[in-house]
Amino acid sequence: MSRVVVIGAGLAGLVAANRLADTGCDVVLLHQGLGGLQSGQGTIDIFGYNPGRVTNPIKAVAAETRRRVPAGSLSHPYKALGVKAVRVGVEYLKQVLPELLVGSVESNYQLPTAVGAIRPTCLAQPSMVAGDVAADLELAIVGFEQLKDFNPELVAQNLNRTELAGGGRVNARHLLLEFRARQGPLGSPREGELDSSALSYARAFDDRRYRVLFAKTLAPKLAQGETVGLPAVLGLQDPNAWADLAELLGHAVFEIPLPPPSVPGIRLNQALTARALSLGVRTVPGVRVLGFAVEAGRVVSVRTQPGVATRDYRGAAFVLATGGFEAGGLAMDSYGSITETLFELPLVGLQNQSLQADYWGDQPLFNCGLQVDAQLRPIGASGEPVYANLHAVGGILAGSSGWRDKSGDGVAVASAVAAADAIAKELA
Amino acid sequence: MSTDQQRESGLIITPEGLAFAGHQLSRASLDACIKCTICETQCPVAAVTPLFSGPKFVGPQAERFRNGESVDHSLDYCSSCGTCTLVCPEGVQIAELNSQARAVMKAKKMPLRDRLIGQTTLMGKVMTPVAPIAQAALNNKPIRVAMEAMLGVHRDAPMPPPQSQSFEAWFRKRPRPTEPAPRGAVVFFHGCAGGYFEVETSKQSVEVLEHLGFEVLVPKQGCCGLAQQSNGLFGGATKSVLKLCDDLRSAGTDLTIISASGSCTGMLKHEAHEIMGVDDERLRDVGTRIRDIMEFLLDLHEAGELPTDFAQTELTVPYHAPCQLKSQGMGKPALEVLKLIPGLTVIDSNQACCGIAGTYGLKKEKYEVAQAVGQPLFDMVKATNSELALCDTETCRWQIEKSSGVRTEHPIWMIHHAYGLS
Repeated sequence: MSRVVVIGAGLAGLVAANRLADTGCDVVLLHQGLGGLQSGQGTIDIFGYNPGRVTNPIKAVAAETRRRVPAGSLSHPYKALGVKAVRVGVEYLKQVLPELLVGSVESNYQLPTAVGAIRPTCLAQPSMVAGDVAADLELAIVGFEQLKDFNPELVAQNLNRTELAGGGRVNARHLLLEFRARQGPLGSPREGELDSSALSYARAFDDRRYRVLFAKTLAPKLAQGETVGLPAVLGLQDPNAWADLAELLGHAVFEIPLPPPSVPGIRLNQALTARALSLGVRTVPGVRVLGFAVEAGRVVSVRTQPGVATRDYRGAAFVLATGGFEAGGLAMDSYGSITETLFELPLVGLQNQSLQADYWGDQPLFNCGLQVDAQLRPIGASGEPVYANLHAVGGILAGSSGWRDKSGDGVAVASAVAAADAIAKELA
Repeated sequence: MSTDQQRESGLIITPEGLAFAGHQLSRASLDACIKCTICETQCPVAAVTPLFSGPKFVGPQAERFRNGESVDHSLDYCSSCGTCTLVCPEGVQIAELNSQARAVMKAKKMPLRDRLIGQTTLMGKVMTPVAPIAQAALNNKPIRVAMEAMLGVHRDAPMPPPQSQSFEAWFRKRPRPTEPAPRGAVVFFHGCAGGYFEVETSKQSVEVLEHLGFEVLVPKQGCCGLAQQSNGLFGGATKSVLKLCDDLRSAGTDLTIISASGSCTGMLKHEAHEIMGVDDERLRDVGTRIRDIMEFLLDLHEAGELPTDFAQTELTVPYHAPCQLKSQGMGKPALEVLKLIPGLTVIDSNQACCGIAGTYGLKKEKYEVAQAVGQPLFDMVKATNSELALCDTETCRWQIEKSSGVRTEHPIWMIHHAYGLS
């Protein structure tokens, strides 16, 4: 059984580790801390804006693969990956997380955000999709006095004034409830607090008794036929907590993702990590990979230094899933020079590296990264892979700003599955 | 702070705040905090009680307002499990900052209890000669109620099981191994618990190593000072850890040092340096050479040097990796080694913490919190196998065993068994 070392445990690293383990590889996953999944919304964006609002993401991906790119400009990673890789990646993710992700590459959901904007996304959690906006939808947006990250009045007001893409508006009102997350006895170490995190609520909603109590409080305040929008705190471990609450209320219910800590993001992270563990992936958290060794054009090992002593991990293939600037895979020093921080791989897109003054404007700096071949191996100016067995996936790839066009998850998933399959084929 | 307090705490406090290498290192890392709240989501203490406001608030955020003095006393509820540092994607030394700040907070008023429970070797020395009496006393309700009232050690908290023979006495008195040791010598570090309470684990470790062809050297050795460190007694802990380095180096300066005490190994590998700022060549030397025993066996296996003639063992057991093992940045070596035993299915608890965190869960005011932290683990253990669980550190085993009612052994117990040594 061949050993493959994956570096990084964001969406790309976790998907690569799972896919490699499925194909029978012996996988070691090295990562410094948890990945970015739980800072996200817990949904999977494929294409949200190009630059207008996208309704059919796979069509937008196809258009990107046909787009002619002027010489000297970067093409979107989707151009190299192709439509099929995106389909395969998304299908794989749906198949491994059937309880957590629903949707189709042919269509984006349009879901309310925690400020009452409407966000396009491709796969969402089943607990969110009743919020897919449509004209004349009657909404009751419900918040908690003790949860400062969610203001239901703001959400309802912004939704009401938004003209929907297909015309019309929703009809939203808000309710702010006094309802504590922790309801331990007075004076006990579990007595509640005035300022709770989303996580405290999510843990409470895992308990059916809490859901019953909450439904009793809320149900009398709801009007016939209203769909109930709640902050995304409806259970952390129990995937059916939201459905149970909907049944107790007798109303359709949907979750609205919050700023970190993102409960839906934690659900995705937990599920992908637990699946990898159950497949025997050896995870080594809390380490930063600091060095590597090369023999005959191949990476043979990478080095960590968790204490005074160093520890090397040998492998037949390596997957670099360390992310972009925000994750530390890329870094810029005080002289403005940009590097890939582990292997010092050649980067593209360094020409326009200064930040633009217009906050909402284009920031080409964030498109810089690695160029890869068909097997997702970083290549140099000659077009040849830098190392024959080093593959790169996710946010470190050049050509897109996932946070702007909402393609980051799609690129991560498609590249991770494509790289894993290329490695499995190579090592077979 | 008076000179006496300063000497005991081992803290160097100037008008500008704390001044020792470890603190400067940790403090330098706090600017890397991006407020992602990942540490908050994984903290096992904040999950069960609002008395601890969470590692980010108490750590990188409160640290900016500290000038030697503590600004947030909920810090005392941090159990020092280290999960926050382990999960931080930006390399912030959250747990280290909190341990340092707690030492400052407690320096002026160190409870007698916290001084006493740091004296782990002393406890062993006192209890071993009178093991049956000690055992009876620790199981005696009125005595435990009195202990709780006088010392603040919770009446239901797990206590070390007194043994009538110390590991050292066994090692000295046993018949010398007659088989040759083709693989050369290694040094065994037993730790206080492995010396006086978890004597069987130490014996089994030595027997497995000898079975593999190593000569095992056991120099006379003291305590690593971990319990003092986690209670904020940096002065005493630094002295202990350096004395231990001398002890271990006395057996040879280029031999691998092996230990079955998961948390004490972590103290030598990184905690003494990162938390207390101990910057000493002897510590660097020992920290480079020491291996957890399961880590050592996995290294042998990876090098193709571990015999895998294990007996078929049809069994499903829960395994829990202790916090201080996880923070050593090597994953869970026991899981990998146990996979080599045919028939054995090991289920990873995948839980952050058992709650005890060294001496945290013994304390009267923390007991309920510690039990709530460990509850999901206790439930998982009971549901997986009602007769046997595996875990690498002593206090965690006592906690799991006491609270779940399931016998809990070090993974080496399983290896010892599968090699046909028991």
